[in-house]
Amino acid sequence: MLSRVAESLFWMSRYFERAENTARFLDVNFNLLLDLNKITHVENPNYWIALILVTSDKERFNSLYESYSARTVTDYLVFNKNNPNSIISCISLARENARSIIESISSEMWEQVNNLYHYLQSVTPQSVQNDPYSFYKEIKNASHLFQGITDNTFSHNEGWDFIQIAKYLERTDNIARLIDVKYHMLLSEAESQTEIVAGSEDIIQWMAVLKSCSALEAFRKVYLSKIDPDNILRFLILDRTFPRSINFSVCAAEDALWRISGSSRHRYVNNADRLIGKLEAELSYTAIEDIYAKGLHHYLEDLEQRLVKVGEQVHLTYFAYHTPEIEPLDIEEALPFTGVAGGRAYWSQAQQHQQQQ
Amino acid sequence: MSRFFERYEPETRQFFDEVIATEGSPRPHYDKMLQRFAQFSIDDIKARREIVNIFFRNQGITFTVYGEDEGVERLFPFDLIPRVVPAHEWETIEKGLIQRITALNEFLNDIYHGQKILKDKIIPAELILGSQHFRREFVGINPPLGIYIHVTGSDIIRDRHGNYLVLEDNLRTPSGVSYMLQNRQAMKRAFPVLFDKYKIRPIENYPQELLRTLQEISPISRREPNVVVLTPGIYNSAYFEHSFLARQMGIELTEGKDLVVNNNKVYTRTTRGLEQVDVIYRRVDDAYLDPLVFRPDSKLGVAGLVNAYRKGNVTLANAIGCGVADDKVIYSFVPKIIKYYLGEDPILENVPTWLASNPDDLKYILANLDSLVVKAANESGGYGMLIGPESTIEEQEKFAEMIVANPRNYIAQPTISLSRHPSFFNDTELWGCHIDLRPYVLYGKNVTIVPGGLTRVALKRGSLVVNSSQGGGSKDTWVVDE
Repeated sequence: MLSRVAESLFWMSRYFERAENTARFLDVNFNLLLDLNKITHVENPNYWIALILVTSDKERFNSLYESYSARTVTDYLVFNKNNPNSIISCISLARENARSIIESISSEMWEQVNNLYHYLQSVTPQSVQNDPYSFYKEIKNASHLFQGITDNTFSHNEGWDFIQIAKYLERTDNIARLIDVKYHMLLSEAESQTEIVAGSEDIIQWMAVLKSCSALEAFRKVYLSKIDPDNILRFLILDRTFPRSINFSVCAAEDALWRISGSSRHRYVNNADRLIGKLEAELSYTAIEDIYAKGLHHYLEDLEQRLVKVGEQVHLTYFAYHTPEIEPLDIEEALPFTGVAGGRAYWSQAQQHQQQQ
Repeated sequence: MSRFFERYEPETRQFFDEVIATEGSPRPHYDKMLQRFAQFSIDDIKARREIVNIFFRNQGITFTVYGEDEGVERLFPFDLIPRVVPAHEWETIEKGLIQRITALNEFLNDIYHGQKILKDKIIPAELILGSQHFRREFVGINPPLGIYIHVTGSDIIRDRHGNYLVLEDNLRTPSGVSYMLQNRQAMKRAFPVLFDKYKIRPIENYPQELLRTLQEISPISRREPNVVVLTPGIYNSAYFEHSFLARQMGIELTEGKDLVVNNNKVYTRTTRGLEQVDVIYRRVDDAYLDPLVFRPDSKLGVAGLVNAYRKGNVTLANAIGCGVADDKVIYSFVPKIIKYYLGEDPILENVPTWLASNPDDLKYILANLDSLVVKAANESGGYGMLIGPESTIEEQEKFAEMIVANPRNYIAQPTISLSRHPSFFNDTELWGCHIDLRPYVLYGKNVTIVPGGLTRVALKRGSLVVNSSQGGGSKDTWVVDE
């Protein structure tokens, strides 16, 4: 398949997953603050700043808003077009990518992206504030519907595998960030990184983390009602069967990469396969104690870095194809990492408007 | 007569109305349509409008107006009343177009080889050799089957008396065929009963016919040809059409950056390496095709493409340099071109045309600017036009200066009252709106025309300009067997 088509499938999927995860963060934060209303209040900035930390966007946020509150953070993460990771930006970019390959995806997939885009154009900040639950539910459902439509109307060949890689790399990254932020919320800087004390507020916070991954019910089936941080981290990082755990997502991304290249265990054919295989193997033989020994925060940061490397290698292997006779692409220029509309498409926009007969 | 048609004013003394022959009496091929519309209330029409709008929106058939912040997407205006062309009228159009396109292809073949027609002084040589679309460097190149214009769309109008006339030939990258196909789909959804009352010739095979044509012109015959569509990109106003056609044909839609030339062969960049391309249905203008040969600043083209084409390793549809034959000056010579190459009289007439480069004509044009339509020879899309009766004195003076400064670039025609067709305004009343017709002609081993084409309609009241960039819309067009 055309490298450009593969790349657009990849980014379409990635942006859609990112929008869903942002909706999850916001949804759970609202719930959490309502649960905690005895000891804090909905506008407690400490809780809202956490959501900005999730997206590593503190600087941009501070340049646009004066304070951290339900209103400003929701506006930034849902509506702000200057934030490339806001839900509205993600869905616009997912749609632009879909539009650029509209002949390659199923018309049902296009209709779903397009419908969500038009729905978002009609939503106002006021309506989200009045009924956040329904709004975030709508986004999550739209994402699930898109994945279901994709699975059932789009051939499970190479293109589908690129969609899977993107979805699971993005999801892994989001789970890691989410756990990491909880970690910041929990521990004051003075405390040791290996001791996590479970108070009642703490338990409610951990439950919120599980909920944002739709993992509370699945967790309870495994660990019954014993909600303690060790078990929660075990579940979210190391469980191999829950679809919103890190280990599951890495395995799924690895499977998709191997299907494309024909790699198998102990035999990789490119760097993307090698890096994802290494990550998967390590996760499979990691115990929670190993993570504590390294420090949870460091462990997650390292994981995020390694995911970036996998993404780069996917790009170099499949999207930025070149042969020795053809001038190699300048990597800086060739790496937009935003798919279609965020990067390189604009440079030729004016010429594309050429007159039509 | 229906409630909509009761209040409709065809003004048949001034205009040729497609539906009403003289006040109160419809043309026979519209009888069943009028009976059906008589059963509709305004709410019925609004409900059908909604079906059509949802269909177009879901298909992504919007065009985008890009401003400073974000593009505004609009639906392409569509009129619910279809145009009916009786079979016997269509036979004439079809024969006329086959004759015309065959002759124009002979002309291009001659211009890019022996230039007999210039030596015989049928056309002044300077008009061809000075045309900005004449590509000197392609003289002597032999495209497969000797065909230059594989996909064309000539614009046909009807005058005051209902005669079909050719207004212009689009021999480079005519657009709009996807609207023809989608209009038909939309009408089937919204008016299934009406559909059943007519024997409408199908058009749905257009993409297959297009693919067959493109396969027939492949430079290689030993394997299944690899055909791709080349688009300028998603910001082009016809992008929807490029992707639609690629999808319907089941072939790759490529942008310039997807293609690479190596050793004078063209390849697509794929996730599995390079794959050779045999035929490119390109929707990119000549000037942007190859930065090494044409505009060096082109970001849409493929470096080396033209050399691969000259070596015969890839076929471009349409060929490079076709614009020399759809120039509005050359247009005035088409009747002579038909006579010269085919020895026949033209079946479809031209609109009378004065050339500013001809001193006598120039005098006439300058003296009659207030009644003529003046057009720049190389513009399209309704740009660079002066419509005399609708213009101000200042506009006429400005055009007079431009014409005198560069007479080769201007032609003038009488203001033709295009035929009118009742069209909905606000879905509540009918107005007579001016229309034209663009049939799509495919030229491979044979010439194929799917019956009908795109009827464009000037939805602004009184406007004569049907181009979509100027507020025009379209209708479904039915060629019906009586």
